[in-house]
Amino acid sequence: MENPNVFEHYVPHSGQYSLQKDLRLNAWLAVTVIVYLIVLFMSKGHPNWSPGLRAFHLLLPVLPALLYIRAWVRVVRGMDELQRGIQLAAFLFAALGTVVISMIISTLNTAGLDLGVMLRSGLGIGGTFLVMFPLWLVGTAIAQCRYQ
Amino acid sequence: MKNQLRGLRAGKAWSQSDLAEALGVSRQTINAIETEKYDPSLPLAFAIAKLFKQPIEQIFEAPGRK
Repeated sequence: MENPNVFEHYVPHSGQYSLQKDLRLNAWLAVTVIVYLIVLFMSKGHPNWSPGLRAFHLLLPVLPALLYIRAWVRVVRGMDELQRGIQLAAFLFAALGTVVISMIISTLNTAGLDLGVMLRSGLGIGGTFLVMFPLWLVGTAIAQCRYQ
Repeated sequence: MKNQLRGLRAGKAWSQSDLAEALGVSRQTINAIETEKYDPSLPLAFAIAKLFKQPIEQIFEAPGRK
């Protein structure tokens, strides 16, 4: 029987790290980022494109992003029941934490506090992931501690 | 949930990793069940009972019941 996926397979120096599993998952993240950067770079050089072509061009990174999501689904399907429970708890922690932080920033903006250029219009797409990813790591660590 | 998993495993001289591999779960799951920090799902409990050829109620003791 194949070993089920565990969080440590994807953490370098964890003792159970698997480069093959890590690449199978995160290669699509790298592709998404590269396509996103290429799209950003190219869109500045072609300001006269039609709105339809521009939308198609800007949405190209969604394709590798969907493949990244599919890779995550496969990782979760390959986990055993305890690991799935841990990841569900960690994801809920990250999602709810991000919502709370986003609401706090939005409220402070509405109240007129100057939070700087980066947060003036809320967390934004990049900010959401920058907040969610560390919260997911913390959530995973907390959930794993419960079963140590 | 109280259980006899550690004793049964020791009786067969298996490590937690051996048992985890036989059941298709992670070693952490076996450890969490043995230390009573995690209650297995019904399919996993049945798989454990089948592996040790014992009735499920002899391995797992429901809390608050006699």
